[in-house]
Amino acid sequence: MILDFCDLDETDYSLPPNSKALWCRINNLIETEIASDIPPEIKEEKQKRSWQFSFGQVFASILGIALVSSLLTIVGIQNYSAGDVSANTAPSLFDRAMSKVGLVETPQQARENRIREQQAAIEYWNKRVEAKRANWDNYLREAFDRNLNEINQVVFEYDRILQENPQDDLSNEMLDSALNEKMALLREFSEL
Amino acid sequence: MIWDLKKYTAIRKTTIFLFSVVFFFASAAASVEVSAQKKFSKIYPASKNVRLQLTNRTGTVVVEGWDRQEINISAYLEAPAATIVPQSLSGTIYLNLVKDNQGKKEVGNVNFLIKVPYDASVDIETMMGNLNVSNVRGGLVRAHISSEGDITLTNISAGAVAAENVIGDIFFDGTVESEGNYRFTSTRGNINLRIPFNSSFKLVATAPSTRSISLGDFGNSGMKFVSDGRRVVGQAGDGSATISVTNQRGSISFIRR
Repeated sequence: MILDFCDLDETDYSLPPNSKALWCRINNLIETEIASDIPPEIKEEKQKRSWQFSFGQVFASILGIALVSSLLTIVGIQNYSAGDVSANTAPSLFDRAMSKVGLVETPQQARENRIREQQAAIEYWNKRVEAKRANWDNYLREAFDRNLNEINQVVFEYDRILQENPQDDLSNEMLDSALNEKMALLREFSEL
Repeated sequence: MIWDLKKYTAIRKTTIFLFSVVFFFASAAASVEVSAQKKFSKIYPASKNVRLQLTNRTGTVVVEGWDRQEINISAYLEAPAATIVPQSLSGTIYLNLVKDNQGKKEVGNVNFLIKVPYDASVDIETMMGNLNVSNVRGGLVRAHISSEGDITLTNISAGAVAAENVIGDIFFDGTVESEGNYRFTSTRGNINLRIPFNSSFKLVATAPSTRSISLGDFGNSGMKFVSDGRRVVGQAGDGSATISVTNQRGSISFIRR
């Protein structure tokens, strides 16, 4: 009898069948007890505090939302209507920061690069015109000079304006257009 | 009495002699002028949506729409006469006098009178000289002058219209089609646009040097001056078409049709 008892598996007594499940049950029991200890008044007050606002708070929040949304709408409409036609569009703060670090070229640098490219093309076509113009009659030569001079005056005018106000987008656009016209005039006459 | 008769006869003889001399030289000059001008003529049958693409050197080009399905090209060539080699390829008539006369030291003016079907597309260019297009309602009307000359587009109903020159006036008289695109560019001259009052379009008109932009009856609340009065932007009607006008050193005017 004693020996039979000794042969019995001891683990059956030392560990419960599922220790984790047992601890979970104990925890739930403790939490339920704590919850039942809180008086019902405090519970209600807590609920009220989390969902209820005073009239002033509601009014202030509605006013705030209305103000912010109208400001955003005004800014949006202004940006849309101004589009790309505003004369003096300053670069954004982000753009300025990026260009200071050297990650993005400034509008002025972009403009200078573009003008440099256009001037190079103009120089090329100008050389071709110089080689050809000896074959033209006086009438054609005079007309060409008159028209080139007209475009040169426009280029000179916008160069001067942009030196005074480099941010003038309209003058930038007009200078670009005048240089393109000059290029076209030279190219077309070089084909004669 | 006899003396008077003699005097009268002498005066009469002198007058007749002088008239004969004048007539001789005048007719000689006229015959030189006539012989100096050659004429070139050609007629092409036109398919539907025919297109005329002409590049002239110098001279006037007149293109008129008519109710025949053929293109009639007449060219009056001043001395030294230019070479004209027209080509008809897949419904397009090509005339390129710049290419055909490349390297020639002197080439006289060529004045064209071209009749096209009403619904033809017209694309004409010239180095110098006036361009006139009238009574055309095809898909495209383009008039380009490399240097100086006036552009006159009368009674045009096309979805795409472009007119550009350096020195000279531009006049457009026609309709503004829905979804159409209209572009007028000059460096110095006057740009006058005559369009129906009920036209719908978005407008960008720029006259930076003169700030002379006259909207006439189109100056409604939908239009506004921007960039210190150098440009007008806005919309008329539902704004389905686009009109872009740039005149670097001249004026822009809108006239009600």
